Amino acid sequence: MSAENSSKVYSGLGAAPGRATGKAYLIRNAEDVMSVPAGSILVMRILHPHLAPLLPRVAGLVVEEGAILQHATTLARECGIPAAVGIRDARNLFRDGELLEVDGYTGKVTAKQSD
Amino acid sequence: MAHAAPRSARPYRRHIIGLPLQRSLFALAAPAATTIGLPGLSSVSDFPARLDENGDLFLDRSQVTALIEALSAWLTPGNLELMHARLANACAALVEASENPVPLAVARDGEPMKSSEDFADRMALLLAYGILSKFVPDVLLRALADAGDLQPPPFPEISAGAQLMQDTFELYQKCGARNYTAERLRREWPCVPSEIFDLVREFCLRQTGFGPLAWDSPGYEDPGYVVRLLHSAFHEVDPEEVGRRLGFARKTTVIQPTSETSPKVAALRRALGLWLDFLERETWYVRRAFYLKMVPLLQTLAARFREKLPALQAADLLFLEIGELTAGIADPEAIQARRDRYLRNTEYLSLHGVERNRLTTMMGNS
Repeated sequence: MSAENSSKVYSGLGAAPGRATGKAYLIRNAEDVMSVPAGSILVMRILHPHLAPLLPRVAGLVVEEGAILQHATTLARECGIPAAVGIRDARNLFRDGELLEVDGYTGKVTAKQSD
Repeated sequence: MAHAAPRSARPYRRHIIGLPLQRSLFALAAPAATTIGLPGLSSVSDFPARLDENGDLFLDRSQVTALIEALSAWLTPGNLELMHARLANACAALVEASENPVPLAVARDGEPMKSSEDFADRMALLLAYGILSKFVPDVLLRALADAGDLQPPPFPEISAGAQLMQDTFELYQKCGARNYTAERLRREWPCVPSEIFDLVREFCLRQTGFGPLAWDSPGYEDPGYVVRLLHSAFHEVDPEEVGRRLGFARKTTVIQPTSETSPKVAALRRALGLWLDFLERETWYVRRAFYLKMVPLLQTLAARFREKLPALQAADLLFLEIGELTAGIADPEAIQARRDRYLRNTEYLSLHGVERNRLTTMMGNS
C-alpha cells in the first residue's frame, strides 16, 4: 500500500483489462447481492458464476482471492469489466460508498480520499 | 467427522457448509481423491482438506505443496490425457445420474439407501475435484509457461457464468415484453399471470444448480430468489449496456493447437481448458445433483423412516451424515441437537441468507 496525493493504493493482480472508477459496494452476505447499485465497484471475497447477471450493472471488480485462474477472471474478462484480484482483506480495507479506481491492467486499486 | 488431514489453526474459509449431510460428503472426498486415480500420485498424500463442525474448511498447506510438486513431475502427455478423461467422466457420470429421476421401482421396493450411497460417492468425487481445482489449474499454467507456451490460458469459449447472464437477460426481456418489468415482477410475485409464473418456473428448472456452494443458501432453484436477482441485476440498467457486455462474452477467441504445437503443450492446453470449464461449473454439478436427485431420494427415504418415526420430516434428514442415512440410522434426539446447533449459528445463517422456513421450502420446491 502507498499514499499518493491523499489516496491509498493497494496492489493485487490485474485479472481483466481496463480502468474503472466508481463507489465501492461491499458484498458481505447473500442478501447484499440483491441491492447492487448501478455503476458501483463490487468488492467481494470471490465472484461465483451464479452472480454473473449482476455484472452488466457494475463498473469494476475488486476480489480478495488471489489466483489468476478463477471465476472472477473468466467472467470479468468475458464481460470487459476491469478487475483486480488478490486484494487481501479488501472488504475491511474499503468502505461502502468510498470512491475506488480499479486498474485491471496492473491490479492496482486506488481509494480516493474524500477530503 | 472422521478425517485424517492434520489440523491447522486458521481455516482456509469460514462457515462454508452448515448442513451435516453436505458436510459429511466432504469426508467421502478422501477416498474420492484416491479414486481420481492419478497413477503414482495417490500415495503422495492424504487429501489435504477437511471441514469441521462449524463448516469451516481447513487445508493442509504442506500436503498441498507435496501434491503440487508431485503433480509437476507427472505431467506427461499420456498422464494429462488420463487426467482429462477421468475428470470428464466424473462430470458426465454425475450429470447422467442427476438427470435421471428416481425409478419408481427404487422408490417402492428397491434400495433407496444404496442408491443414495452410490449417488453420494459421485457427488463426493466432484467435491474432491473442486478442492483440487484450487491449485491444479495453476500447476498446468506454470507447466505451459515452462514448456515455452505463453499464449493466453484456454478459457472456455463462453463460460457457464456468461451463458447464465445471457439466459437471465432473456428471461428479463421476455417478462418485460409481457409488461412485467423487474420492479413489477418483484412487487407482485408470486401473484402473477400463469404465463409469467411458468416462464420463471421453467427458467428455474433449467438453471437449477447455479447458486452458492451451501445447498441451504437460496439459488436459482428458487423462483423467489430469481425474481429478486432479476430486479437487482437489471432494474434501471441500460439494455444496450447489457448487450455490450454480452457481446464481449461472445467475442472470446479460442486458440487451437497447430501442427507446430508440441504434444505436451497440446495435452496441457486441453487438460487446462477442461479444468477452467470445470472451475465455472464445479458448484453447479453438485448443487444440481442435490436438487434434482438427492432431494427426491431424501423424500423417498423419509417415507421409509416414518414407518418407525412418524413425526420425521424430509428436512430432518439434512441433519444426518451420509453414513447414517444409508445405514438407516435416525436418532430424533441427535437430529434435534444438530438442528438446534445449526439454528444457533446466526453468523452462518446470515452469511448464507438462510431464513427460518428455508429447509422446508428447499425440500418441498424440487
